[in-house]
Amino acid sequence: MSLKKGRSKTATALLLLGAAYCLLPVLWVLIASSKSSGELFSTFTLAPSTHLFDNLADLSGYRDGLYWRWMANTALYAGVGAAASTLISAMAGFALAKFDFPGKSAVFNVILAGVLVPGVLLAIPQYLLLAKVGMTNTYWAVLLPSFISPYGIYLARIFAAASVPTEILEASRIDGAGDWRTFGTVVLPMMRTGLVTVFLFQFVAVWNNFMLPYIMLGDDRLYPITVGLNGLLNQGANQPAMYTAVVTGALVSIIPLIALFLTLQRYWQVDLAAGGVKA
Amino acid sequence: MTPSASTTARRPVGRRAGTPYAFLAPAMILFVAFLAAPIVYAAYLSLRKVKVSGLGLGAKSRTEIWAGLDNYARSLTDPDFLPSVGRIGLYGLIVVPTMLGLALLFALLLDANRTRESVGKFARISIFLPYAVPAVVGSLLWGFLYLPRVSPITDLFEAVGITAPELLSRDLTLWAVANIAVWGGTGFNMIVIYTALRAVPLSLYESARIDGASEVAIAWRIKIPIVTPSLIMTFVFSLIATLQVFAEPMTLRPLANTISTTWTPLMKVYRDAFTRNDLYAAAATSVIIALATFILSFGFLKLVGRRAFNQED
Amino acid sequence: MKTKYAPLMAALTAAALFTGTACSNSGSSSEQTTDPNEKVSLTYWTWAPNMDKVAAAWNAKNPNIQVTVNKQDGGDPAVTKLLTAIKAGSGAPDIMQAEYQKIPTLVSADALADIAADAGSLKDKFPAGAWNGVTLGSDAVYGVPQDSGPLMFFYRADVFEKNGLSAPKTWDEYATAAEKIHKANPKQYLGTFSATDAGLFTGLAQQAGASWWGVQGDAWSVAIDEPNTQKVAAYWGGLVEKGVIDNKPMYTPEWNAALNDGTQVGWVSAVWAPGVLEGSAKDTKGKWKAAAMPQWDAAAPATGAWGGSATSVTTQSKHKKQAAQFVSWLNSDPEAVKLLATEASVYPASNDAASVLTSPPAFFADQADYYAIAAEASKQMKPFTYGPNVNVAYSAFNDAFGKAAESKKASAFTESLTTMQKTTVDDLKNAGFNVAG
Repeated sequence: MSLKKGRSKTATALLLLGAAYCLLPVLWVLIASSKSSGELFSTFTLAPSTHLFDNLADLSGYRDGLYWRWMANTALYAGVGAAASTLISAMAGFALAKFDFPGKSAVFNVILAGVLVPGVLLAIPQYLLLAKVGMTNTYWAVLLPSFISPYGIYLARIFAAASVPTEILEASRIDGAGDWRTFGTVVLPMMRTGLVTVFLFQFVAVWNNFMLPYIMLGDDRLYPITVGLNGLLNQGANQPAMYTAVVTGALVSIIPLIALFLTLQRYWQVDLAAGGVKA
Repeated sequence: MTPSASTTARRPVGRRAGTPYAFLAPAMILFVAFLAAPIVYAAYLSLRKVKVSGLGLGAKSRTEIWAGLDNYARSLTDPDFLPSVGRIGLYGLIVVPTMLGLALLFALLLDANRTRESVGKFARISIFLPYAVPAVVGSLLWGFLYLPRVSPITDLFEAVGITAPELLSRDLTLWAVANIAVWGGTGFNMIVIYTALRAVPLSLYESARIDGASEVAIAWRIKIPIVTPSLIMTFVFSLIATLQVFAEPMTLRPLANTISTTWTPLMKVYRDAFTRNDLYAAAATSVIIALATFILSFGFLKLVGRRAFNQED
Repeated sequence: MKTKYAPLMAALTAAALFTGTACSNSGSSSEQTTDPNEKVSLTYWTWAPNMDKVAAAWNAKNPNIQVTVNKQDGGDPAVTKLLTAIKAGSGAPDIMQAEYQKIPTLVSADALADIAADAGSLKDKFPAGAWNGVTLGSDAVYGVPQDSGPLMFFYRADVFEKNGLSAPKTWDEYATAAEKIHKANPKQYLGTFSATDAGLFTGLAQQAGASWWGVQGDAWSVAIDEPNTQKVAAYWGGLVEKGVIDNKPMYTPEWNAALNDGTQVGWVSAVWAPGVLEGSAKDTKGKWKAAAMPQWDAAAPATGAWGGSATSVTTQSKHKKQAAQFVSWLNSDPEAVKLLATEASVYPASNDAASVLTSPPAFFADQADYYAIAAEASKQMKPFTYGPNVNVAYSAFNDAFGKAAESKKASAFTESLTTMQKTTVDDLKNAGFNVAG
């Protein structure tokens, strides 16, 4: 029995060590954002200070609260983008999982290939094509490309296959419900758990995206937070980098996602291979 | 419900024949607009080039012409290209096994601790947390932690009387960048593997224990085989991420002498497209990277027999 | 390609109609308008701080020509975006801040409009060197000079005094001072060689008499690997090899920390340095002094430039005339020049700058002669010609000198120039430019 206890202590220690490693930069940014700009570069790194609220006030004051506009933009891009992408993925996943039709496997294989295409490679041609219709430097330039997520479709197909019994669809059809009504009233509710996961994936992907908005947007009032923070950091040679604002801004920017994780953590249990969400 | 009824339902007649296409339509339109069209366009650009005449200062001095495979030849013979490919090869050898090894280890530990919720929950959330941090921000935070004067790591080394290693020096930069990727990716992979483990009924382990199997033996003989499909999937996704490493070295580059503008293949694409203003060379390199990604990941999936992608129910 | 995607693009355009934020210059009219009462709105990309306040002064007086400032992340990203927009055929602003070294690149990409008809008469209001930067020696005018960045030397007066040193007059004295300071306190450095700042190295080469590009008939010439630049590279490589100056990049948290804790005690920089020092090491205020640059030949003082930019009108602007009016006002009207200096914290290129810059910058409040030193430096600026692929040369600088700085070998510094020269010439030839020699 003592051997087993020793093992479990080792296990606990290892887990805590892993947690400490993952939390270190977060702890650092928490402490660093409590320092004044002078202290940031002079006092011991892990010694907290008392200027967090001053820094937040400075950050809010930067160009009439531009930072909060970036946060709002990010929420808009990630929220609307992920919601639309989830619905579109659900429809496509449902069609791929529950219907037989000519071209089905071709469509699925093309989408699978799409999972493997790096976003960075797409950003430049996407820009050039959107520019031809004059849509760069608009909210749509960032929103529209985020509506399509091959990975989301792939997941939605798995979830639809696993959670929507064919019998129920048939029952609904026999009751005389149209396909769209069946989808809205039967399929979507049954796929709900899986779709929350799809939503979260896409939400995080858009929230963390840098390249696409960086290329698409010229007006900094449209920036998401990643591009905005990068701008504060790289002001060009004749401007000082705004480290205090960047550090405080970085801290504030990860809080919403952490909150989202904590509240929806049961949905983060996706089995990529076997395809069920164990909630 | 008889099987024949099921068949009719799955092959609807009349007005329903178009249904699956209608459900697929938005996805396919967007797919064509934002994935297929840009890829085709990039492929087209990779065969073009700009020809300047004279001093190149007048409005009409630039013409776009066909380049054949010139851009590909230039890309492949660029003295910076092969070293960058070699670099991410090495980077992948560091990142993928370390990240997946840690993810598997933590997932197994969490699973073994199934009954002790508080520690497990704390560790699970903490290790998953970096996934919430954008790569640009994560690299910025680690950048601070790497620079001797502002890093607590230096203080730690000095406290025990050792000269701290220079983390962004020639020998260690690759490891420093790899660390950010491991930090950011372990948690996500851990959750995937952990979820697969949780699908196994506890009774399976109980009977193994009664048979006298140790925890380690249970992990090796029962658990790891069960999560193998998940490991394959995480491996493929990690491989893709490796080939595309960009944000981390790009953010660290201004902090060190050791990260060149062509440190990874995607950084070369970025440099050609934006610093050198040569979209055509960038498109050619992009196509090469995309092809390599396809060959590697599909090749690997073929090798493991496609069971991971759950092709058909 | 346009027709190939026509149906798809039509669908997307329909979506675009629902947005209120579509860029201002995507309107249908492509003709120049001449109606003086027509209301036009212009977008202006700039990275100088508070430029919206300067534009507000113009907007108040010109209700028919309203300028909206889009703040950019700095010179490189802004140029990148502009070039991409030019290639795409839409998305460019009307007015653009452009660094002098980017102007040939932008002109070569057909991004900048010739505004000689509206701004040509301003020639006499600017130093000849700055004006040459916007004309490229031709009859065309591709912008109006906005600000300049003559090199100056900044040092910690307290540390110099403690070591019995005074501001170095020559590069030899600089080397001696660097050695003395580092010997007295091994943690202290008089400077660092930053492989991430090609602009500064270019300025130093300019001071030594180099001019990396040139026009010979209808061909470009490239002279990066030449004696003056070699002298500069060998000098800094020697200091790095000896270990008396640092080899780490500037503008990093590490560098900020060194400025704060007094281990980076000197900075070869430009007239705009006070703003950076104030933002990076506020608490060291009062300890710094500014001086003229150390010289290669004290009898023939010279400087180079780091930074400096013009304001240009883009070829995609639908209202080039109105844009040119704003650009002219911004950089030559006494009120605007004053606002540039006070609000946007730039050192105006205009000859009238001296009259508005009466008191020293706040961070150097005790140094009454600050702008006198700057004005003197402006006059000593050596001529320098930029070519159409400055970015290629600069990124070659980053890579080659990054390796050299890391190796701490003086020979690697001069060898890096060979790499830069070859990369730059190869790129010009590959693009089809005529290259002499």
